[in-house]
Amino acid sequence: MPKNNQNFCGSPEHGVSRRGFLGAATAASAATFAADMTVLDALKNPVLAGELKKQQKHVIVLWLAGGASQLETWDPKPGRPTGGPFRPIQTSVSGIEISELLPKMAARMGDTAIIRSLNTRIGDHGGGSRLMSLGRRPDPVVNLPEMGAVVARELGRADSQVPDFVTFYSSTEGRGNAVGMPGFLGARYAPMFLTENSVPNNLRAQKTITEVDHQDRAALRQLLAQRFSRGRNSGIVASHNSAYQRVRGLMASEKLFDVAQEPAAVRATYGPTQFGEQCLIARRLIEAGVPFVKVGRAWWDSHGQNFETHQELCADLDHSMATLLDDLKQRGLLENTLVLTMAEFGRTPNINGSLGRDHFANAWSVSLSGCGIKGGSVYGKTDENGNTVADGQIDAPDLFATIYKALGIDHEKHYQIGARPIPLVDFGAKVVKEVLA
Amino acid sequence: MTSDPSKLKKTKEWSTSNILFSMERVAGTSRLFFGSSDFKMYEIDMAAEKPEPVAFNGEGHQSYVTGVGLAADSIVSGSYDGRLIWWNAEKKEQTRAVDAHAKWIRGVFVAPDKQTVVSIADDMVAKVWDAQSGELKHTLVDHKPMTPHHYPSMLYGATFSPDGKLLATADKVGHIVIWETDSGKKVTELEAPGMYTWDPKQRRHSIGGIRSVAFSPDGKLLAAGGIGKIGNIDHLGGPSRVEVFDWKAGKRLHTLEDNKLKGLVEQICFHESGKWFLAAGGDHGGFVSFYETASGKAIKQEKAPMHVHEFAFDESYETLYTVGHGKIAVWELREKEDGPVEAPVPA
Amino acid sequence: MPTCCFKSSFICAALLLSLVVTQAGLAADVPAADRPIHEVIDHFVDGRIERLNVESAKQADDLTFVRRVTLDLAGRIPTTAEVRGYVDSSDGEKKDSTIDRLLASPDFAYHQRNELDAVLMLGMGTTNEWRQYLLEAVRENRPWKQMFREMMLGREDDPTHKTALSFLKVRAGSVDDMTNDSSRIFFGVAINCAKCHDHPLVLDWQQDHYFGFTSFFSRTYLTKKGTLAEKHGGEVKFKTTEGKEKQAKFMFLTGATIEEPPVERSADQRKKDDAEVKLQMKDEKAPAPKAPTFSPRSEFVKLAMADSDAPFLARSIINRTWARLMGQGLVHPLDQMHSENPPSHPKLLDWLTRDLLSHNYDLRRLVRGIVLSNAYARSSRWEGEGEPPLAELFAVAIVRPLTPEQYALSLHVATSNPENFPLDVSSEDWAKRRESMENGARGFASKIERPSEHFLVSVDEALLFSNNEQIERDFLRDSGDRLIGSLKTIENRQQMIETAFWAVNSRPPAAEEAAAMDAYLSARKERADEALKQLVWSMITGPELRFNY
Repeated sequence: MPKNNQNFCGSPEHGVSRRGFLGAATAASAATFAADMTVLDALKNPVLAGELKKQQKHVIVLWLAGGASQLETWDPKPGRPTGGPFRPIQTSVSGIEISELLPKMAARMGDTAIIRSLNTRIGDHGGGSRLMSLGRRPDPVVNLPEMGAVVARELGRADSQVPDFVTFYSSTEGRGNAVGMPGFLGARYAPMFLTENSVPNNLRAQKTITEVDHQDRAALRQLLAQRFSRGRNSGIVASHNSAYQRVRGLMASEKLFDVAQEPAAVRATYGPTQFGEQCLIARRLIEAGVPFVKVGRAWWDSHGQNFETHQELCADLDHSMATLLDDLKQRGLLENTLVLTMAEFGRTPNINGSLGRDHFANAWSVSLSGCGIKGGSVYGKTDENGNTVADGQIDAPDLFATIYKALGIDHEKHYQIGARPIPLVDFGAKVVKEVLA
Repeated sequence: MTSDPSKLKKTKEWSTSNILFSMERVAGTSRLFFGSSDFKMYEIDMAAEKPEPVAFNGEGHQSYVTGVGLAADSIVSGSYDGRLIWWNAEKKEQTRAVDAHAKWIRGVFVAPDKQTVVSIADDMVAKVWDAQSGELKHTLVDHKPMTPHHYPSMLYGATFSPDGKLLATADKVGHIVIWETDSGKKVTELEAPGMYTWDPKQRRHSIGGIRSVAFSPDGKLLAAGGIGKIGNIDHLGGPSRVEVFDWKAGKRLHTLEDNKLKGLVEQICFHESGKWFLAAGGDHGGFVSFYETASGKAIKQEKAPMHVHEFAFDESYETLYTVGHGKIAVWELREKEDGPVEAPVPA
Repeated sequence: MPTCCFKSSFICAALLLSLVVTQAGLAADVPAADRPIHEVIDHFVDGRIERLNVESAKQADDLTFVRRVTLDLAGRIPTTAEVRGYVDSSDGEKKDSTIDRLLASPDFAYHQRNELDAVLMLGMGTTNEWRQYLLEAVRENRPWKQMFREMMLGREDDPTHKTALSFLKVRAGSVDDMTNDSSRIFFGVAINCAKCHDHPLVLDWQQDHYFGFTSFFSRTYLTKKGTLAEKHGGEVKFKTTEGKEKQAKFMFLTGATIEEPPVERSADQRKKDDAEVKLQMKDEKAPAPKAPTFSPRSEFVKLAMADSDAPFLARSIINRTWARLMGQGLVHPLDQMHSENPPSHPKLLDWLTRDLLSHNYDLRRLVRGIVLSNAYARSSRWEGEGEPPLAELFAVAIVRPLTPEQYALSLHVATSNPENFPLDVSSEDWAKRRESMENGARGFASKIERPSEHFLVSVDEALLFSNNEQIERDFLRDSGDRLIGSLKTIENRQQMIETAFWAVNSRPPAAEEAAAMDAYLSARKERADEALKQLVWSMITGPELRFNY
């Protein structure tokens, strides 16, 4: 047991959870921790790092915004009129072939499972994004939470010193569809949404205010805000309060977003692209205990020049994802981190006059790597041209049930909204056991 | 000369479920050899009442056939499978297969004397081959493998000068190199960055590139075809674009952009007089666009029934054969025999 | 009556049915056309509340009401003098006269202008000239129908109308943008799904409608000089989902089509016209375009304004105005006005539509009617048992986040020396001050997220206020014209706290609030200046200032 837990009762379980300063308004207890707040670097604190690593699970979603083509990634159709010009290659797992555009991932199939039989039927960006974020069709009455909010709630810590849900979405196209949906779980579980910069703005206090005053000022704000909420329990009002309550914790996690903290050699392995860099930050975040990171890579919507576009974007995905998996594995994090590639839908087997592929949700693929996953497995088949699912058809709820199961979250658990039970996934969703370890 | 682009008229269409990327015409005939998205090579006689394609035999290619060249006594085809295949034209049989490139071949071009063949691929090298023996003469290295934005680049266009002594290659980012065919040495380079659109903000990838290059018959001009700036790079929603250079002086004479004919210029070919050239290509649809060389003015522009990937004229430049997405279309560029004699295109 | 193609019969039938049902069997339930708007609103809103046997909130108190209506009509919080003046008045007509005063004030025009700008321009390409155009239009209370016409058909040779064309000009690079935005913004119809296929759920919108709508804009182009022009010809062709190629007819949302009179244009003439267009798009010095004999956009405007048929233009602006003031549209979301998404109060929407049509699209009159209603004046605090009623019943006022402009202006007013705002400023003087406040606020407003459909305050805003230096610079300075400057001159601590509270929150502090603030200051005697800034900070970052409740 590390020696520097003298401020606590001594038992390791209490050492971390006593740090309840987030949300607690009393200046006194806050002052004790104020001194080390801004120099706190979760990665360097052995107590924290140890606690965090033990048993905590995480998710990294590589969100291929715009809809990547399953035919140019996980489910090639060689020699078919719909197959395109790229050929399949053997992966490190015998019997599994993927597109030649993902050679590095092909060499690492041992940790990855592919589901090829997704039929989600919704072919517009907004509707598809919503479906693949919520895991089900939206409810007319209840504001459902997206996967990130659920995972943040189920796997995060109530007193977390780090954000529990971070989304990177630097391109402008489709950004509106990636905006966080915490739903009835509340603004507390809305993502930290990073756009132009990979580091959040305004994380450092002005020099003109002391640490203690910065905290106390916030506490006074909180106190004065209390009257307002009486009888006004709308989500938007709660979000205002929630936003201010998270400020201190977020300020403390600034360093996590700074890639300059990583050795040059590590940065070099991730490569020079923005997506690669954000994958590296994602690794830093989950290593520090952030349960859910979504790295949005826009924009795969290749209505024209599908093959050219995938040459570029698959190169980016292949390299960044392979590097990320290697990095996680090397640090002992992969067994507790689930890495997913997902999108709002796939692309048509049919090739149009601009050599493009259009939206297609009837038979497409996702990949799952790491935590709880049986690497080297493939579930489901599409027909010879990729037009329909031939075997093992699943929809979004089944995929989400599978994801939650892999993470050790009980997907049949209910939240309660008034009198109405809301299960984490739709009733009747079936876990795809074949891809689980 | 009775070849007159202003008299352009489509005379025949043939449909297929495949995409036809490349073709050659047998001299003095209406017979075409074309490479298809079904990985096969075909011959077809467009003079027939109902043209029927005849497939070549042999192992063939394992991906899209993107280049077809008619050399001295064989046909050379290139494909996304990285291989060049020599075929006996008469027997339609494979005679030689070479693993030519590490990546996807984009085109195959034959020198005017039919003794030399060049292949270009996304490994960003052009390879010069002896058309008869298949011997590799030169590997031309200059085009950068990565774009300035750290993504793998593509080498799309090549052409020989009319005397065969020079070779031009052109890539995704708008870089053109002119080489000496015999020695493989680089002579000069030109830049046409307007053909490359990189979108850092909305969609964060690139599109475009120079797709075609052609020397004028007097060898002085080099035309490059592609697409202009695109706002929404999900589509080929940009103007078709041709840049004409006085390549020796390194000067650009024309930049021709056409918003009515959107899409890529996939091929350019000059009339033997040099007075006009044809730029053809497309987006979802297709176009054929004739320009006056000196002024850069459009003489005749027509929508084609498909995205045109490649075309060839007959010897008199009165008949035009276009192949592309799902179709072959044949056109005439002359006045009908029994009609009044029209003045040809002004000098 | 324009020709309806058979596909639109569904829409025509649905709308006709709603009118027939309204008129026929339930004639007794429909208020007469000359009833005041606010009475009709309460008739329908209260009616539905009663039928559902649901509790509603009581009317908001004076403090709350004057703040709400000032924010909604003037686009800023009221000054301390305005609030106290309203609350202290014993005039029985004070609500009506305050509303009329605000509507006549210079503030109203600026606020209405900002709201319209946000809707019309969505943050892109708004210029000073454009904002000035909107301001003048609002000052005149120009009928919305006329503004629509100006934005669609403004003539380049008329300096006022030329600016109105900005709406189309910023979108002229893409026919899709012109189509989709015009449809969404003016008609409340998000038609873009129907581009690639018939709308899967809504029978009203099919590819024919999308491409029909597009046809009206397909000949519109922007010259290099920046003028908007229309070509003499050109068809829109599209591929159906079965791959069939079709030529689009000029078709409006009702299904009504327009036939272009057959035009004899020789191939040469066509070529000449095309060449002219090309030249104009390339060369600034090219001769000005001539108006075409057949203008699809003019035909579009005619169809859009054929009120009797399906008054999309009227219904949409009513819905948007209602949503802005009441927190949610009668049709929700605002761009889903179709038969699969009926209004919460269909008869009310019909009545308001007839009223707007018969009063020449007078928006100020509509706004006045809404804010005079009891529905508008309800408290936003739910004090009943159990869950509050559904938002669409308007039984409890909906708490609305301030727009970026409202928030920036209100922060400015809140942190100004209250004595800067006596009650007796002349209208001209106030107009000048408001103009200068508008310009000053624009920078900060750009840092605040504009509320959208599922808006939640993000942690980014909290970090901005907590750590960005601009906050101190803009709102916490202590010069004499600022609140903090004036607070420093007040000896009595209690009085000082009250002054601050009135200025920011438009009300007196409760005892425990004043006590907490007093304690905060007392604990920081040796850094009193800093403490005062922190005190004001803790108020301006509160939910009370952030929301319109």
